[in-house]
Amino acid sequence: MPRIAKGLEIEGTVLECLRNATFKVELQNGHQVLAHISGKIRKNYIKILPFDRVLVEVSPYDLTRGRILFRYRN
Amino acid sequence: MNTVMINRVDEAEWQAVADEQIVGHGDVSYRPDGRLFVSIDVWQDEAFDPLAEAMLGELPTAVLHTLVGGEDAELTARWERAGFAVERREWEYLLPTRAAVAGPVPEGVTILPAGTADEGLLRELDRTVRAQVEVAVGWHTMPAELRPHPAGDTLIDPSLYAVAVVDGQYGGLIRVVSRGNRARIGLLAVRAECRRRGAGQALLGHTLAVLDEAGIGTAWTEIDQANTAATALFERFGARRTGHLAELVRRPH
Repeated sequence: MPRIAKGLEIEGTVLECLRNATFKVELQNGHQVLAHISGKIRKNYIKILPFDRVLVEVSPYDLTRGRILFRYRN
Repeated sequence: MNTVMINRVDEAEWQAVADEQIVGHGDVSYRPDGRLFVSIDVWQDEAFDPLAEAMLGELPTAVLHTLVGGEDAELTARWERAGFAVERREWEYLLPTRAAVAGPVPEGVTILPAGTADEGLLRELDRTVRAQVEVAVGWHTMPAELRPHPAGDTLIDPSLYAVAVVDGQYGGLIRVVSRGNRARIGLLAVRAECRRRGAGQALLGHTLAVLDEAGIGTAWTEIDQANTAATALFERFGARRTGHLAELVRRPH
């Protein structure tokens, strides 16, 4: 069976809420990405605020973009 | 991109795979109120339609719900292609705390600051207002984050609630969570028999004044577009719209 590559998942901290449900997130490795919220988070009405710790899946096609998969309880 | 293959990973999750790469996820879950919500996230546009087709073909023929950022016309159009239609919208508002004009607290109304209410009476008030909403417009129209709670308990943390006492009884509540220089108003509700007494306005004015004193300049909330009373109340305090969520629904044919 061929190996299926999964997107890179990395923890980060929300720095800023931008328009259109997009967030500037600083990842643990110091890089910053623009991340939107995943449908899974949206459908649970989970709200993302600055300083929230989140799990981000980085786009395999653009390492400056990502998707917030999970918000940790602070 | 080569042909997209759809794999059902488990009962609630699907993957779209192309070029040995996961290019999309589909997910389904029941909310505590029994509604079935679906979501799809793709890195490649071409993955959405096959994922949706596979998921909708394998899910029970029930009413399905999904949520989309209100400005995301592209994602909305994709769901509409899959048979969904926008059913309701909820607006996100920002309120400046400093500009708040609370006015005097009406006669017969007393505000208990956050953390000072009797927990038992607060829980009873919370249950009452939720029951009243449920038999009126339905709690599903309330923009509220759902967290797991012990059965029957809907109060997250009693210390977050300020309460309006109206003629001696717990008549209204407001829940606020502060983070950095922003605060989120998660719930503002007044029991039916205590409405039109100024309790909601007093609660909101009190809360904004407390936030201002704490150096928090902005509060944030969401209001269903059909809730004209809440919209009018928040706009009186200077709330302005900053975005919205659309709930789309697909009904069985």
